[in-house]
Amino acid sequence: MAAIPPRPSASNERLTVGHGRITCSLHGSSVVFSELSSTYPLKLLSPRLAVPAVAIVYVLCYGGGLVSGDRVKLKVDVEGGCKLLLLSQGSTKVFKTRSGDRASTSLRQPAHLGIPENVTTQITDVSIAPKSAVFLLPDPVTCFRSASYTQIQRFHLLGDASLVLLDWVAAGRKSLGEEWEFSRYYSVNEVFLDGRRITRDIMLLEDFSLQSQPPGSIQLHRTLKERLRPYSCYAMLVLCGPLAQEVAAQLSREYQSISIFKTSPARLVWALSPIEEGKTYVVRVAGIEIEDVKSWLRDALRGFENIIGIDTYRKAFV
Amino acid sequence: MEQNDDETYILLVLADSNLPTGAFVASSGLESYTTHGFLSLSPATPTSNSRTEGTLAFIRDSLHTYAYSALAFVSGAHALVAPFSLPPPLDEALASLISLDALYESMTLNHVARRASTAQGVALLALYTKAFATSASASASRPESLSVASLVDKLKLAIRRGETHGHLPLCWGVLTGALGLSLARAQHLALFLHARSLLSAAVRMNTVGPYLAQQILLRDVRPIVEGLVSQCGSLRTGTVANEHRDELGYLNGPATTWPLGEIIATRHDLQHSRMFNS
Repeated sequence: MAAIPPRPSASNERLTVGHGRITCSLHGSSVVFSELSSTYPLKLLSPRLAVPAVAIVYVLCYGGGLVSGDRVKLKVDVEGGCKLLLLSQGSTKVFKTRSGDRASTSLRQPAHLGIPENVTTQITDVSIAPKSAVFLLPDPVTCFRSASYTQIQRFHLLGDASLVLLDWVAAGRKSLGEEWEFSRYYSVNEVFLDGRRITRDIMLLEDFSLQSQPPGSIQLHRTLKERLRPYSCYAMLVLCGPLAQEVAAQLSREYQSISIFKTSPARLVWALSPIEEGKTYVVRVAGIEIEDVKSWLRDALRGFENIIGIDTYRKAFV
Repeated sequence: MEQNDDETYILLVLADSNLPTGAFVASSGLESYTTHGFLSLSPATPTSNSRTEGTLAFIRDSLHTYAYSALAFVSGAHALVAPFSLPPPLDEALASLISLDALYESMTLNHVARRASTAQGVALLALYTKAFATSASASASRPESLSVASLVDKLKLAIRRGETHGHLPLCWGVLTGALGLSLARAQHLALFLHARSLLSAAVRMNTVGPYLAQQILLRDVRPIVEGLVSQCGSLRTGTVANEHRDELGYLNGPATTWPLGEIIATRHDLQHSRMFNS
């Protein structure tokens, strides 16, 4: 009896371990989920909201984190003018890669044959129909010592769809003195507009200094900690589409007004680049503490209160 | 033997600091890094001061992210124009170059770096047509150099029409491939020139002296460049054949490895006063 496989979901696509599907559209002014399903260790929760055309889904993992070898795959379709806010509840923790199997797996399995079994992976594919919007505003990913994490997020926008995409990573468990001591963090954020790729952001944070070098040779690469200090949190933000324009324009004005004289490194540093003739913006932020970056983001994106509602917005960056 | 002599001579020509590539106005973020005060984060050692250590740290991190993000594009473009490989039809080769260029643009999400990259890329193509194309086709018994020259012309035309960008790694692959330099040499020289250009900027900003800069180039840069070529030389973009429908396609591809460098380089234009263009 216990061996009966899980029932196929509505799309006739069987959900395997760690898979999730979210499909929502608009009926009148309320968001209807035709699919909201997931399998262990992924969990999706959608609290009721009073704001028209706006919905929240919390993307959670049992235990608040991902362990070595977990593979989470989420597919999201947003249609009909919905505004979907995707949140997490607390930082996504990535636990250490099981000892012993990293070295042996990488020997047996060259990288081009696939992601090694023990790497924790999270793959998200999001389709956003015209007039619809996705606000992906999770807490930062925290990779623990020796963790190996791969995250791939693809966004397919059609027409006047909008996207606010936040991807951020923190240095580790500060309470344990961990600072950039994971072994690998690999994050892909790819945005397509009407099938054309407009961004492929790939960040690879790997402690290359740990790789074997001939004894006695000088150190070729600096450690992750050396490369990323003095900051312990890095964020990347993509603002794309009509619903993001007002916030982007405000940020852009603020950015243009900065003038740097000879200085010493600040608590928080950010940069903004217009791409696609100013229709899309990429923002990067680094801060001494997670809290520095979080409060900067909360202020920078506050204009979205007008779009998703004040109370909804307050659920992000808590 | 003769092939080696040819290659050595081309290396000497391409390594000439008078080569008109526009690299002179680029600091690739070093000026901004200095203005933001990051040089002083590197502690002094008994034999060198904090500014020297900071400059060397920047060179290591900058070379690292450049190797990881750019070498795959050098390789992709080089393969399309290098002799001895079966040359694809001209229009097909051009389309492949343009799609490589579009991919590099989509991975370079920093308008300052984009600006510096296309300025230098276009300069390399101009260098090829104005200085090298004629002599190459005249000197060697290489009929393919004629079609390479017309491929470069078509690429330049596409850039002028705004159909593509002309990013540096791609144009470097085209230039070195067209001149018959081996891919390994082309990759190695790309990183060497990046390091040399950083050191040249450092000397002009006076963060290291001219003698020390040469010492660093001779002693420190060599193992870094060689290590990175062996680490990143096999990275490929994979753009031409597949569109990465699954997660596997990314793994042997290019990546950015230094988010701090991205932020600081993007902030170049915010400096109150500046010497460089990037």
